[in-house]
Amino acid sequence: MSLEPLAFGGLSVVLVGSALAVVLVKNLFHAVLFLALALTGTAGVFLLLDAEFLAAVQLLLYAGGVVTIVVFAIVVTERLVGDRLGQTSRFIGSGMAVAGAVLVGLLLFIRQEPLAEVRPPLDGDVTRAIGDALLTRYVLPFEVLALLFLVTLLGALYFARPED
Amino acid sequence: MPLQAYLILAAVLFAIGLFGVFTRRNTVGILLGIELMLNAVNINLVAFARFNGDAAGFIFTVFTICITVAEVAVGLALVILIFRIRRTATADHLDLLRG
Amino acid sequence: MTPVLDAGALALLALLLPAAAFVLLAVAAPVRRAGRVAGYVSILFALGALGAALGAWRATGPADLSLRLWEWLPADGWPVAMVGVLADADSTVMLVLVALVSFLVQVYSLGYLADEPPGGLGRYYTYQSLFAFSMMGLVLAPNFVQLFMCWELVGLCSYLLIGYWYQRPEAARAAVKAFWTTKAGDVGLLIGIVLLWRHTGTFDFLELLQMADGGEIVRDGLGVITFCLYLGAVGKSAQFPLHVWLPDAMEGPTPVSALIHAATMVTAGVYLLVRTAWLFSLTPDVLALVGWVGAFTALLAAVLACVQSDIKRVLAYSTVSQLGYMMAAIGAGFAAVGFLHLLTHGIFKALLFLGAGAVIHAVGTNDIFAMGGLARRMPQTFIVFLVGTLSLAGIPLFAGFFSKEAILGAVWVGGPLLPFVMLVAAAFLTAFYMFRVVFVAFFGAPGAAAAVGGHGTGAGHGPGAGPAHDAPAVMGGPLWVLALAALAIGIGFAVAHPALEFELLGWITPLAVAVAVGGIALAWLTYQRRAIDAEALARAFGPVHRAALARFWLDDLFIAFYRLLVLAVSRPVGWIDRYIVDGILNVLSAWTLSAGDHLRRIQSGQAQDYVYGVALGILLLLVWSQWPR
Repeated sequence: MSLEPLAFGGLSVVLVGSALAVVLVKNLFHAVLFLALALTGTAGVFLLLDAEFLAAVQLLLYAGGVVTIVVFAIVVTERLVGDRLGQTSRFIGSGMAVAGAVLVGLLLFIRQEPLAEVRPPLDGDVTRAIGDALLTRYVLPFEVLALLFLVTLLGALYFARPED
Repeated sequence: MPLQAYLILAAVLFAIGLFGVFTRRNTVGILLGIELMLNAVNINLVAFARFNGDAAGFIFTVFTICITVAEVAVGLALVILIFRIRRTATADHLDLLRG
Repeated sequence: MTPVLDAGALALLALLLPAAAFVLLAVAAPVRRAGRVAGYVSILFALGALGAALGAWRATGPADLSLRLWEWLPADGWPVAMVGVLADADSTVMLVLVALVSFLVQVYSLGYLADEPPGGLGRYYTYQSLFAFSMMGLVLAPNFVQLFMCWELVGLCSYLLIGYWYQRPEAARAAVKAFWTTKAGDVGLLIGIVLLWRHTGTFDFLELLQMADGGEIVRDGLGVITFCLYLGAVGKSAQFPLHVWLPDAMEGPTPVSALIHAATMVTAGVYLLVRTAWLFSLTPDVLALVGWVGAFTALLAAVLACVQSDIKRVLAYSTVSQLGYMMAAIGAGFAAVGFLHLLTHGIFKALLFLGAGAVIHAVGTNDIFAMGGLARRMPQTFIVFLVGTLSLAGIPLFAGFFSKEAILGAVWVGGPLLPFVMLVAAAFLTAFYMFRVVFVAFFGAPGAAAAVGGHGTGAGHGPGAGPAHDAPAVMGGPLWVLALAALAIGIGFAVAHPALEFELLGWITPLAVAVAVGGIALAWLTYQRRAIDAEALARAFGPVHRAALARFWLDDLFIAFYRLLVLAVSRPVGWIDRYIVDGILNVLSAWTLSAGDHLRRIQSGQAQDYVYGVALGILLLLVWSQWPR
């Protein structure tokens, strides 16, 4: 158990650092790579929370899928514009102030509520529980999700179709 | 680690993502900020699910991840479309809604 | 008298026929624009109304009463007002007068307005039908509400018909003046009606009459009410000081003057007082005022009539004067006598106006001094005009004789001495100014206009071809009907005097006749024999003559009053409206505009700026959820 705070600390440093890099670096391509790092770190947090299946989904869909799509998008747009996409920021002061205010508000909110100190022991396999729930109680949203993917696929194709 | 630690971590990530949405000029950059915020939400969901022993939170996470992916796909398609029409990926130039 | 068509039903029929004609002409534009066709339609309906009115009159005995009522303005518990017809002896005989004169005038107008464009003629007949309906509704009104509605409707028709030639600025001005001046009285009438309702709780004539008979009406405060009602009559029946509109109303077509401003509408005030005589008899003070004002109006208008050279204005002042007579009789407490004179006057004054119209139509001018020698050129017109003049002067065997001497007798019996003296003087002047017109216009050397015939100077006055000659049959017919009616009434009254409520003293009749003959003699000496110089006569009455020429400065007084008081009030009010009321609004709207202009910039159109809004919203929620309670 003594490993857990250590792992959490390390992951936190990686996550916050890579997240800051995502929003601050100039090179858009590097930002995407840092995002991939942050997403991978999140998968690690999921592992710490005994959610192996979600960690896998996170890696597959996010770190794999999303980052791939974004990289593709960047490549396509850079080819269209024939130049490297710069990544500049605006109104850093006000953004920081408002984001900081939201953070302070959230932290105050978290500190105020009485929260569980220790997690309850696991009963059974989390992955199995997810699978059971998905195909029993949540089967309808699950199917709707499939429909959503179909629509997304068609929509994205329609938007990004070549100019005629 | 207590639940509080996870929530604080998620709050920090959320704030960083929000900051990115505020400040990035490039539309792709804004999308990256949104991804960070959603990620923070996912951490919250999983942490609550684990600490409360309720599988629903895990299921929700599955759904949010999937929907996020779909959203990113559509969002990037829109970015490319805007790029084609307006020849820009800078959000500053997209002000058709100006009053 | 069949049960289906009793007096009430016939009266209702007479009322609805002109209404149907009006609706038909108002809705069916092609018929109206056809001009003469519209006239035929209107005349046909007016003829039907006359028949129904005669039937209603014949079916109504002296004490009969027939009601047809419908609810109107329904309210909690009981309807606030009813509409319908109340047919009794007074209202049906008045109905016959209205229907008869209305019908004859409409026939006459076919000839008089023959040269009008079809559209204008259609409009004229539409108004005529509306007027006939309104006047009959007024006559048959069973309560004050319907009476007031019709009262205003006839006022509107009067306005529309005076302003028939609205292209002429004088006509338009006269129409507005008539409307305005009568309106001043109408406000009083309305206030009086509302006060009366508050006083007694009913508008209904019959209920009020029952209450009055039973002595249930509280006397306190009733004087104010009857005075307000009387104000309405002052405006409508052109009593001093609101008589100023009637001479100007002569700008309308002559048949209109005959119908509205001589025979029917202007007598509505008298009719109102006759209808509510039992109410006025409860307030002797107001009744005395009615008598005094009536007598004074009679004399004043008679003086004014003596200096007019416009034939229609002479007749207009004469109408004012005769209305004063009727009011004087009512003021003396004998409303029936005033009503009798109303009826006879309606016949012979319509005759005089239509005769004057025939003359004007023939010579194309209103100026009596431009006429002359017309007796030979227009013998028929001369005869009927003479019949009317003798009736008005009160010569025996003519219509005005008996009713006028009855008024003199009534005032002698019922009133103080001075009004009686004023009325006798007015009778003398009446004979004088009417025969002045006769001698100047019909005898003597042919005037310029009479020789060349009508040249169409006055709009609508048909240009006669060649020297003046008698009017066509369509105009002559109504004249003869009225002349024969005036003669028949005069002879009928001479044979069988109507019953009077008082004893007519024996010396009144000789006095009245002597005074009338005296007036005729003076006119004869002055304008026919030239034994008395008209200028010298005028000089003898220097101040009065000058004052009469200036209409006793009443119009100037009203205008000065208007300028001083109304403008003194309305100028500051206008300033307040323009700079304070509008100013506040303008400032507010300017603020709104500039605020919108500034706030517009919030809408940058950039999605990221909107995210700030979302974040601030979250913050607000956080603060709100954690606010210490």
